Amino acid sequence: MKNHNHAFSSSSETTQKSPSSSTSIKNNHNQSFSSDSVSSVNSSKLFRKPSGFDGFKIFVTLPVIIYALLLIFAPLVYVFFLSFLKGDNYGSYDYEITIKNYIEAFDPTFLKIFFTSVLIGLITTFICLLISYPFSIFLRDKPEKTRSLIIKLVMVPFLTNSLIRTYGWITLLRKNGVINYSLVSLGIINEPFNLMYNNLGIIIGMVYTLLPFMILPVYSAVSKVDQNLLDAAEDLGAGKLKKFFRVYLPLTLPGAFNGSLMVFIPAIGYFFIADILGGGKSMIIGNLIKNQFLTARNWPLGAALSILLLVMTFGLVKLYQKIGGDLDELGG
Amino acid sequence: MKNQKIKYSVLLVSIVVFTMLCLIIKNNAPKEKAKTAYLNVLNWTSYIPDDVIADFEKEYNIKVNYGTYSSNEELLAKVSSAANGTYDLIFPSDYMIDLMIYRDMLEPLDSSRLSNFNNINDVFLHQEYDKDNKYSLPFLLATTVLLYDDEKVDHLSSYRDLLKPELKNNVILLDDQRIIIGALLNAEGFNANDTNDNHLEKAYEFYTELKPNIKAFDSDSPKSFFITGEVDVGLIWNAEAILAQDENPNLKISYPAEGFTLSMDNYAIVKNAKNVDAAYDFINFLLRDDICKRIIDEYPYISTNKNIKTVPDNELNEILSRGTYIENVGGDIKKYDKLWARIK
Repeated sequence: MKNHNHAFSSSSETTQKSPSSSTSIKNNHNQSFSSDSVSSVNSSKLFRKPSGFDGFKIFVTLPVIIYALLLIFAPLVYVFFLSFLKGDNYGSYDYEITIKNYIEAFDPTFLKIFFTSVLIGLITTFICLLISYPFSIFLRDKPEKTRSLIIKLVMVPFLTNSLIRTYGWITLLRKNGVINYSLVSLGIINEPFNLMYNNLGIIIGMVYTLLPFMILPVYSAVSKVDQNLLDAAEDLGAGKLKKFFRVYLPLTLPGAFNGSLMVFIPAIGYFFIADILGGGKSMIIGNLIKNQFLTARNWPLGAALSILLLVMTFGLVKLYQKIGGDLDELGG
Repeated sequence: MKNQKIKYSVLLVSIVVFTMLCLIIKNNAPKEKAKTAYLNVLNWTSYIPDDVIADFEKEYNIKVNYGTYSSNEELLAKVSSAANGTYDLIFPSDYMIDLMIYRDMLEPLDSSRLSNFNNINDVFLHQEYDKDNKYSLPFLLATTVLLYDDEKVDHLSSYRDLLKPELKNNVILLDDQRIIIGALLNAEGFNANDTNDNHLEKAYEFYTELKPNIKAFDSDSPKSFFITGEVDVGLIWNAEAILAQDENPNLKISYPAEGFTLSMDNYAIVKNAKNVDAAYDFINFLLRDDICKRIIDEYPYISTNKNIKTVPDNELNEILSRGTYIENVGGDIKKYDKLWARIK
């Protein structure tokens, strides 16, 4: 018995608090089942081994693994195969292998949409970068309390569905909306601005929705920059701009790239923003894919376009790894 | 040690969540077994008022599971990807009936069980997409109309009128490729279902002339563009136009001289439906005069009920003779899709 207790205390200091301490008490009472109790102790010892391949890890990650296999991997395989089938114009497909869908995907009309989306994505990313850097550098020197409060505020919008927030922007941006109404009634402008139902509206919506995804990685990178390096730069006579380009930027490049990925990729796919704030006048890749499934009844082409988008995304992630980014950081 | 605390709290939380899930599943299970009749309906958004459905549930003691869709293709995707018997009653439009018959997705209707069949106005029956009404019965007719603010712009009676330079950035169009391309084809004097490449190219040219005047494409709630004063002119659904008029009496409706598209939405029962009896009950209920009246009051489309006059007879005849139903164009849908991509 002593031995058993010893095994427990050596493996953990919190034996008394942990639920399995009840096992050891139980063992104390049932001395006759000593052989059983030994094995149970051994297994619980295995169970709480901090490193290696333990049952706990598997148990905790199992739901995620099942989730990923069932809801991410399986549909992906389906979409992949679908992209090689022949559409039958009746919303179904024939079991005939073809690469026609991929050839069709490179049609000049579609390439134009591809180009517009990438342009909108790049502008959105650039504006997000422009906002995030000054914001992060400003926040860096603030006291801990202020910093955590402001970072929490950055995340507050996530509490509401992005679709609803996008509708909220209509009230602000439309012809008789809050912004135009105040500007006109203050006599600053005579004619209301066309703030939405054009590409400007799309970019405003995208920047608003995706900004937190840029701020968080950029801020985390900026706050890790060594103060000594900044002091040294200042001592050597570097101005604010020089300090930014020679110290901050090179050191935070992976963070900035991480944020750019998380902004750029959704920006070419968020069709609801293009529909609501762009007035449905500009199509982005997201709209194009959606249309193949929901209006043109051409699922295989939609699947092929999705796969191409995926390949592009994958290429960007590879590029990110190449410039020294950490894949783990992409997750958050 | 701290690690271990986290481990145990994760374990605890996952056990709690798992237990809760089990409880939820267990709670739901007996309900399914209870002896109530069910009906699974899939219908367009904003088509049947909620209280009408509630009254049906009360009167027939049938529980209605009501789902919605916003395009025929969405309906097709939902029905064809769901397990057999998931849906009972659906409301596809004209060309989708054609397509669904082709794909053998509909159950033939038994006219002997349609006790209120005689309430349907004959002029809506025997359409091209289902000649003998073997699979479908007309429910509501939607048309596209021009709506304009009489105080702010001159009288509009044709698509050509939309090209006026003073309407710059002042026109809203439905976000629907078949209807808008159909209108563009009509504007150039062609049939709304034309698939001739040259004609489609002409339609595109008309669009490039119209483009500077277009403020937005929207199918969800085009009326709100008029109500908030965003636009003064639009090509929108008849019901949306009438609802907008309720808010702003200066709005006037006109039927484009060059022609316009019609959409007939129909009752249809899905093949292998589980609750066919309830589906017939619901169709007969919706065909009743008082119920038709309530639906039309809330969503002012054109009723197919001959006892409910939504528009005067002569106007109805004119609408039917000048309007064109959207037809299934088969593989040529790709041409429309490509043109739509160019337009956007």
